[in-house]
Amino acid sequence: MILVFGGAYQGKTEYAQSLCGDAADKTTEICDLSDGGEPDFTKEIITGLDAFALRCVQEGVYPADYFRERRDQWEHCVLVATDISQGVVPIDAGLRAAREANGRLLIYLAEEAEQVHRVFCGIGKRIK
Amino acid sequence: MNVLISGGCKNGKSFFAQQLAADLAAGRPLYYIATMIPRDEEDRARIRRHIAERAGWGFTTIEQGKSIASLIGREDVDLSGSFLLDSVTAVLENEMFPVALKDGKAEFLGEDRDAPERVRQELVAFARAAAEAGGSVVFVSDGIYGDSCGYSESTENYRRALAGADRALAAVCDRVTEVTYGITEEWK
Repeated sequence: MILVFGGAYQGKTEYAQSLCGDAADKTTEICDLSDGGEPDFTKEIITGLDAFALRCVQEGVYPADYFRERRDQWEHCVLVATDISQGVVPIDAGLRAAREANGRLLIYLAEEAEQVHRVFCGIGKRIK
Repeated sequence: MNVLISGGCKNGKSFFAQQLAADLAAGRPLYYIATMIPRDEEDRARIRRHIAERAGWGFTTIEQGKSIASLIGREDVDLSGSFLLDSVTAVLENEMFPVALKDGKAEFLGEDRDAPERVRQELVAFARAAAEAGGSVVFVSDGIYGDSCGYSESTENYRRALAGADRALAAVCDRVTEVTYGITEEWK
């Protein structure tokens, strides 16, 4: 598994596609979790992990546990997450819990990942 | 050589950028593109402080908070010089959220939805024109993309537009540097 993270609007999905070798004649299938639903691990790229973490917490599921229980399903995936760890502590208790659960999910995924890349201004850099 | 500098706010980006722009000048004209359009006394005080901080560095100040591409072809601007544009953030704000000053007070005129594309194109055009003339531009922007809370629609539009400008500049700049508490990380 490859984990790609970075701030909002930094070009993370395009970067993930470039890691998958996307070109004019090749488009990797993407499962975008920011639109709702559960991860479809048959897709090579999964984006919006942060939005999924928020929904998990709202439904009483711990997102790191969700991924741990499905360890064998996402080994081939490129997982894409927005880094939401840099701002002010949210006033809303639900958002606060979601931000923490998101952090713990990313710590777990970064540990398990073969490669971790950070994206900044559209440029990616492998940091693991 | 064109350079994009970004990173968190109040992290030492401007100081690093000033040194870099002065080094890049190497005897050629050194310009500071002042982008803040003062709206109140707080802004005017900040501008006075910035002017004092730049004293002795040899910068010629150009007041240009909008329409950056209009610097191309101006008689009093030598494009083969070294420019410091601080900041992309302010230029985008000035163009996206224009104000009218009435009796010393700022009155918002609403969001200009065409500004993101226009600003992106003008910044890239200026970078290219300076590079073609043998000059250099140091662009300073701000990393405001790590928050967990959602913002209002217009603020999200602004964050998306600034990221778009940063990415377009990163693509045409020779060097992209992130500054964190004065420490630099090279991305390109």
